[in-house]
Amino acid sequence: MLRRYLVRRLLVAVPSLLIATAIVFTLPRLIPGDAVQLMLAETSYAKDIDELRAKLGLDRPFHVQYVEWIGRAARGDLGESLWTRRPVVQELGQRLPVTAELALYATLIALLIAVPVGVLAAARQDSLSDYVVRSLAILGLSVPGFWLATLLIVLPAIWWGWRPVTGFVEFRADPLGHVVQILLPAVILGVASAAALMRLTRGMLLEVLRQDYVRTAWAKGLAERAVVIKHGLRNAVIPVITLLGTQLPQILGGTVVIETIFGLPGVSRFLFDAINQRDYPVIQGVNLLVVSTVVLVNLAVDALYAVLDPRIRY
Amino acid sequence: MPLSRRDLLALSGGALAASTLRPSVARAQTPKPPDAGARRGGTLSLRTWDPPHFDPFQTISYKTHIALSFTHSRLLKHKAGPSVVPGTFVIEGDLAESWSQPSETTYVFKLRKGVRWHHKPPVNGRELTADDVVYSVNHFLTVKGNANAYMLKSVAKVEATDKYTVKFTLKEPFVWFLDMLANPLAVAIVAREVVEKHGDLKKHEAVVGTGPWMLDAYRPNVGLSFVRNPGYVLAGLPYIDRVEMTVDEDNASRISAFLAGKYDLGWEFPGTINRTDWVQIKDTLKQKRPNLKTVEYPSAVMSHLSMRTDGKPFDDVRVRQAMSLAIDRKAIIEAVFEGVGVLNPPVPAALREWSIPIDKLGDGARYYRYDPTEAKRLLAAAGYPNGFPATMCFTTYGSTILVDSMQLVQKYLKDVGIDAKLDTKEYGAYISTCFYGKFDSMTYGPQTGFLEPDNFLFGQYYPDELKNQSHINDPVVADMLVRQRRTADVAKRREIIFDIQRHLARQQYYVQMPSGVYIGVWEGALKNYAPSFGYDYGGRLMAAWLER
Repeated sequence: MLRRYLVRRLLVAVPSLLIATAIVFTLPRLIPGDAVQLMLAETSYAKDIDELRAKLGLDRPFHVQYVEWIGRAARGDLGESLWTRRPVVQELGQRLPVTAELALYATLIALLIAVPVGVLAAARQDSLSDYVVRSLAILGLSVPGFWLATLLIVLPAIWWGWRPVTGFVEFRADPLGHVVQILLPAVILGVASAAALMRLTRGMLLEVLRQDYVRTAWAKGLAERAVVIKHGLRNAVIPVITLLGTQLPQILGGTVVIETIFGLPGVSRFLFDAINQRDYPVIQGVNLLVVSTVVLVNLAVDALYAVLDPRIRY
Repeated sequence: MPLSRRDLLALSGGALAASTLRPSVARAQTPKPPDAGARRGGTLSLRTWDPPHFDPFQTISYKTHIALSFTHSRLLKHKAGPSVVPGTFVIEGDLAESWSQPSETTYVFKLRKGVRWHHKPPVNGRELTADDVVYSVNHFLTVKGNANAYMLKSVAKVEATDKYTVKFTLKEPFVWFLDMLANPLAVAIVAREVVEKHGDLKKHEAVVGTGPWMLDAYRPNVGLSFVRNPGYVLAGLPYIDRVEMTVDEDNASRISAFLAGKYDLGWEFPGTINRTDWVQIKDTLKQKRPNLKTVEYPSAVMSHLSMRTDGKPFDDVRVRQAMSLAIDRKAIIEAVFEGVGVLNPPVPAALREWSIPIDKLGDGARYYRYDPTEAKRLLAAAGYPNGFPATMCFTTYGSTILVDSMQLVQKYLKDVGIDAKLDTKEYGAYISTCFYGKFDSMTYGPQTGFLEPDNFLFGQYYPDELKNQSHINDPVVADMLVRQRRTADVAKRREIIFDIQRHLARQQYYVQMPSGVYIGVWEGALKNYAPSFGYDYGGRLMAAWLER
């Protein structure tokens, strides 16, 4: 049943992907100024612009370019960067691991903070620890990641003349240095997500803890740990998992700023530069990747429901 | 001994004045001996920008040209070092050992012997010859998409007369020719085999030159590493073994890195620190980095207000003069340049050899004062007693300084009745429209910080030139612009350029804004280095060494 459901969802995702790619294909081309104008910049002549546009195939109608691109994309060929002439797939292959690692660490950190703290706040409702945790959550939601990142970079430099490593440390070259370098930006990214997840965990758990079956568990004399974690949390966590799925685009969005501040060569910075340079194949390639990832993650979240709650069947 | 452009042109100008048939004296340049006390070794760390690609003939981006200044040679270059005053550009040989000018339109360059390409495929260290120079110049002039080709559009023919001699024939006299060749934006000498192997020079594997350093590694969005070229033609140079350039796109990150001693030069172009940042961190730097050296010099980047002088109301000189009088330039310096800036006539004050001091502008000098009362009087005399509505095309260039100055300009114009509504465009849209004069009313924005006055004047004021944003068609200016291009005598040429600026000060086709003053900053352990304008980081560092 689950397999059939997943196949059906995947089929439904195809039109979503097509619509998303059509939007992604069209919107950058509607912004005034194209890649050729930016390449030739301030000293170009009209003749040069027309010739270079033709050379890059940008003079053809939108729909012709789109159909050609989608055909190649279906075969795994996302084209070449207009600026570097390198295959987009190759460029993505270099940058995707950085962003994926950052997003993974950020998600793990968010979960590691949110779930225990949310459980603690729910189990100790209206206690001092609950108030402290809720206040911190509001703070976590309110503090912009770029501000936090800026402080964490500038203040140690002013106080102690120290700053995180400049330049990207590759895992192969220095595994420990690499993890340390990723950790700080991952914590900053994870904090905002953790705040949202923690509030939801607390809220859902409070609701579950008032259910009759939990009261029965208490009446049976089960330990608090068993009641809260085994009977309560497992039933409260489904909306949290849903939220986690929707947090992914937010985390990916946040990586644009964080990757820039910390000098990490990830996909988000690649996309940011590509938009500035109107590098259409790159914009399309990255967005196709992001849309596909979001679709797949949400699919995984749906599948996870059945694992967490045996009553859910597809 | 290297000869200055002034010496060179004075010599050739004198010779030409006497007789254009008399062959001019060849200007020899002896290879530079090792500097006294120089040390080999060390790693220099710089902040850089990620190049969009590495083809110097496909972009004007400083990001690319700065990187290639370490790896590629030109025929000529600008002299660098502590003896050079920033804003002056003395020409010396790079690949050219000497050169001569047999006639007004002929230049002959003798190449250094024993110049070898980097030991990288497909050239693998073969010797550079005159054919390589000819190929590079022709490629520069003919390849599609080279926005810098205009710099050498005076060239009719380039040929190799023997293995080490290159002869240029110009279509007409163009006295800025040597300056153009020395400009880091002009012809980087490249190998035909590399272009043919890669199709173009965009990939980092195609970074193969004859310059003092070789590209060792390029990591997109992370940085570039250069290593000393052991086969560099000038024996003993460069002194620095390795140059590490880090892509750092966030200002807070750059500040913290500089405070922590990670960069040896100021992080902004060209090795400077913005005064706004400097004011905030200079006391901390005194404690953390007491050996830093600094030097201040005006920036050649100048913003101006351009306007449609081919239609009303800007076709009336009184309106343009009123606009200039309405601007409080000193207040702009106070507000956006932390109180340190320079007033600019049509050629920016930074080009100290060619920019006329404001007080020598004659009648036109008065229009650089702040006098809103006189501005209103002139507007009334022109038939606009209550001012007029207008639009002002603008893009931010990502610069808060530019936004601040624009807002002040808007406010000052409003004070005299000119209600300029802002038309903010995204960068690409701005470049493709307003930058090329495609606007209805006014445009406000910066101009490229060129290294020669001709680039500032000819493009902006000669009829039908692409960057003639104000749509000027003034036969007096056009005549002087052509004359200065044909006047080899430097003193006479300077007088023509001063006359052009005096005329333009009265006409106010563009309303020039003040420029900030750069703070060039470098680590004290870096010796024999001095900052200047332009993209030639490699040239400025070639004879520098580290003592730490």
